[in-house]
Amino acid sequence: MATQQGSSKSTLKTSLPSAYAAVQAEQPVDTSQHPSQEEQEKYLSGRPRATPQHLGVALQHAHQIQAQKDAENMILDRIIELLALPSSPSADPAAPSAADAQAFKSALLDFRPSDYDSYIMERNNEDLCGYGLCRREHGNARRGKDQIFQFKWGAKGSGPGGRGRSMDIVPHEKLEKWCSDECAERALFIRVQLTEQPVWERRGNASRGMNIELLEEARAKGPKRRTEGSTSAAAVTAEMKNLNLQDPGRSQELAMERGDSGRSPRGARVDVRIKEKDQSMAASAPEWRPEDATGGSIEGYVPQNRRDKDAMDLDSGDLLDQI
Amino acid sequence: MDGDIPSTSADADKEMTRLWRTWRTVYEMLADRGYEVSDDELQVSLDEFKRKYADPMGYPDRTKMKIQARPTEEMKIKYTALPSKSNPNPQPDCGTVYVDFCPDGSQLGTKQVRAFNHVVDENNFHTGIFITQIPLSPTAVRLLASNPGHIGENFQEQDLLVNITRHELVPKHVLLSPEEKARLLERYRLKESQLPRMQVSDPVARYLGLRRGQVVKIIRKSETAGRYASYRWVI
Repeated sequence: MATQQGSSKSTLKTSLPSAYAAVQAEQPVDTSQHPSQEEQEKYLSGRPRATPQHLGVALQHAHQIQAQKDAENMILDRIIELLALPSSPSADPAAPSAADAQAFKSALLDFRPSDYDSYIMERNNEDLCGYGLCRREHGNARRGKDQIFQFKWGAKGSGPGGRGRSMDIVPHEKLEKWCSDECAERALFIRVQLTEQPVWERRGNASRGMNIELLEEARAKGPKRRTEGSTSAAAVTAEMKNLNLQDPGRSQELAMERGDSGRSPRGARVDVRIKEKDQSMAASAPEWRPEDATGGSIEGYVPQNRRDKDAMDLDSGDLLDQI
Repeated sequence: MDGDIPSTSADADKEMTRLWRTWRTVYEMLADRGYEVSDDELQVSLDEFKRKYADPMGYPDRTKMKIQARPTEEMKIKYTALPSKSNPNPQPDCGTVYVDFCPDGSQLGTKQVRAFNHVVDENNFHTGIFITQIPLSPTAVRLLASNPGHIGENFQEQDLLVNITRHELVPKHVLLSPEEKARLLERYRLKESQLPRMQVSDPVARYLGLRRGQVVKIIRKSETAGRYASYRWVI
């Protein structure tokens, strides 16, 4: 137990690639549990048609499951460690200390939104505000007896078409997770940045440089971006010129997103190589052939009575004209 | 003012009675699992229970409610694996059980579970059963299950109000010892994976504290055959 906590403490202060490496580094522990020769033989003798390949596949799946369990345990440990944040009782959620913010952000990288939800639940169980860097108690204010829902009015002008106020009916439990609306906003801002994909399935994405921003950090950046956007027409045209279909960086990103990167993903069991057909000959226009005179065949079938039918249609047309 | 007192005492009475039923089910459960439980403990009356565990206000005092029980010889045999080459002298995989009633009625989180795990760890109990008034949070459930070297189980008080195995529609479940299991597989020339299955989360499996890989014999009444036995492999 003690060693487990020690190791997870050391991984807490890392960014995702290294955290992932930490999970991977636990693999050698598994390989020490790699079956001995005797155990391998036992496995194969119990299954008459099994080959060492089957054993390999079974082992690979076992390792995957083990890695998944390790990752789940790591997240569980982190939830418990994060409950100790913020470190000082007078911490201000609007201006957290750098160390706290760093620990908070790096620990959350591996979380899924569902993990984050259970983290919020745990914080509430400890009578803390659901936002990780806030020390205040979570709200219980203005609650009547047996009152389950509450009306929540938006700011003036937030209603449909910019008139009136938006209104929401919110269950009390949802409101009571936070000490204030500001903290709710901060916490939910982090939640939307988390990835649904569980940490043991994130492989190539480690290079994508995932980063979690606190709401304050994003706000500090925000206005700058807005002024950039609203500059003169000249700036906009300059921006437009920069747009380039052949931008190597962007196209690589696109290829990554589509899964078109040339190499097969690491650890895949089937090695897929795409071979293009050799097409050096120039294409030629279709030529007229004698059998095309009757309209040709439909997938090898030549209609027999097409001509007769056409003639009948012509006749009936004539009749109608006569009447 | 005067009207308040009877109502609170009625409340206390109600809670006390409910808890008494849970308490008795817990003892029945321990006895069914094969722990040493005396007849007095099994048939504790409501008055006696009240005398022992009520606080001055008449409400139950859950902090006092803790149970320990040792496994019987019979149970030890059932939990001893068959001797093998690598392990010629296997030890029974069961030991003292510890039952704790959680006094907190709301906001049940990792804090309480950590305290419980600590107690189990410190006294080196083999199995810990944590009985709570409300469901545990998902994190707490995982924490309870991941206490290394110990088995952690969780029940809600309301789940144990009635002993489900005493219901007429629930057939009798009997755990087979490893030896009986080996004989069964040999007799029917089966692998264990060819048996019908049953989940560890099955209410009866939870009640009996079954573990993955064990086999239970289920004995039903049958109109045509009198008794009908079937087997389930716990997964």
